[in-house]
Amino acid sequence: MTSYQQADPEAPAALIGALSPALLRFFRTQDLMSREQADDLLQETWLRIHRVRHTYRPGQPVLPWVYAIARRVRVDGYRRTRRIRAHEIVTEMLPEPRPRFETRNSLPAFETLVAVLPEAQREVVTMLKAAGLSLEEVARATSCTVGAVKQKASRAYERLRRLLQEEKNELP
Amino acid sequence: MNCRDVERSLIEHEKSGAAGLPAQVQEHVLTCNRCGEFMRALNPSVMADAPAPEILRRLEGTLTAGLRPVRPLAPPRYFYAAFAVIFILIVAAGVYRLGASGISVMSPLQSIAMLCALSASAGLLVYSLVHQMAPGSQHRISPTRLPAAVIGLLALLMAGLFQFQPERDFWGTGLACLRAGGPFALLAAVPFWLLLRRGAGLSPRISGAAAGLLAGLVTTSAQEIYCPILDASHILTWHLGVAVLGASIGFAAGFAGETTGKRLNPAQR
Repeated sequence: MTSYQQADPEAPAALIGALSPALLRFFRTQDLMSREQADDLLQETWLRIHRVRHTYRPGQPVLPWVYAIARRVRVDGYRRTRRIRAHEIVTEMLPEPRPRFETRNSLPAFETLVAVLPEAQREVVTMLKAAGLSLEEVARATSCTVGAVKQKASRAYERLRRLLQEEKNELP
Repeated sequence: MNCRDVERSLIEHEKSGAAGLPAQVQEHVLTCNRCGEFMRALNPSVMADAPAPEILRRLEGTLTAGLRPVRPLAPPRYFYAAFAVIFILIVAAGVYRLGASGISVMSPLQSIAMLCALSASAGLLVYSLVHQMAPGSQHRISPTRLPAAVIGLLALLMAGLFQFQPERDFWGTGLACLRAGGPFALLAAVPFWLLLRRGAGLSPRISGAAAGLLAGLVTTSAQEIYCPILDASHILTWHLGVAVLGASIGFAAGFAGETTGKRLNPAQR
C-alpha cells in the first residue's frame, strides 16, 4: 500500500490481484447479488480506493481500510439499486421460487447460508469468514467496537446453527 | 465442553481459524456431528469466486494510468491539535467580543461542571471526527451514536445544574443571545469543513452532524461564558439549541453533499 502511495507502477497490479477475489466474494455474499453487479461494485471500489489512497496511514492494517471503503460502496450500490427499482413499473408478476439452500457436500453454500442473516450480522460473518479479517479489523472496517462485533458474530452463529439444524430436519 | 462453548471459542479464536482452536474444542468438533457440520458450513475454503481476468487487467490499466505519488494523511495528533486550536481561538474571540458576565453569576460548581462538560464533549467529537477522516480507523465510541449522546448528556446536565425560572421576555432575550453567539458557529464551521476535506469521511451525514455539533458547541461555550441568564429553559433552548441546530445543518449538508457529489462525479455514479 505504501508503494502504491509512492506511485510504484507494480503496486496496483499486486494489490488488485491479492484483494479482488475476497472483495468480489464479499459483494456476492451481501444481498446475494449477481455476478455483474458484484463486478461493478468491485470496479467502483478500486476507483474509490485510488481516489482516497492518501488516507491510508502507513503502519496501519490495510484490510480494514479497504473493507471500510468496500462497505461504503456496497451501501451506495444498494441505495442506487433501490432508487432504480422504485421507478420501475412491474408489468407481470412472476412466481418467486421458494429459496432453498444450494447444497454442496450436503451442506448449504456459504453465500446462501448467510443470506438469511440480518444485514449487520451477515456483514460481520462475511468479513470474518470470507475475507479473513480479525475481530478488531472487522470493528475498524465497520466503525464499531470489538464488543459489538463479538455480539453480532455470536448471534449470527447461534442463528446459523439453528437454521442448519432445521434444514437438516427438513431433508427427507 | 458443549456446543455453546464451541461458538464462544470460535469467536475468541477468529483469526487463527479451526486449526488455532484449543485442543478441547477440536476434540468436541470431531465427536459432535452438529458442530462438525457447522464448522464445515462456515469454512471459507469451499468458496471459489475469482474476478474475470479482463476486469482485473482493465482496473490495473486505469489505476496505473492515473498514478501519482500522494502524501499520506498527517498523523491524528496534528488534526487533534488543529481542531482544538480552532475551537479555543473562536471561543476566546467570542468571549473577547461579548464579555464573561455569565461566569461571574454562576456558582463555582456550575462554572466548573459546564466548562468541563463542554470541553469533554468537544474533545470526544474531535476524536470521533479525526478517526472518521481515515477509513478503517479504530472507533472506541460509535460515531453514529456520539452526537445524540453528547446532546442528551449536555441537556441532562444543564437541566440538573440550573433551575427552571419564569422568564419575562423569553423570545426577546433568546433571540438576542442567538444573534450574539450564532456567528461564531458559522465562523468555526468553515475551518472544520476545510480540515475534514483532507480526509475521506465515508459517511458524510455522520461526519457532517458531528462537525456541525462541534461548531455549534463553539457558540454554546461562548454563550455559557457570556450570557448572565441562568434559567434552564433559556440555556437549553438558546445555548444548547444552537448546537442541535448545528448538528442538524451538518447532517443535512452531508446528505446533500453525498447526493449531489454522486450525481456530479461520474466515478461515484
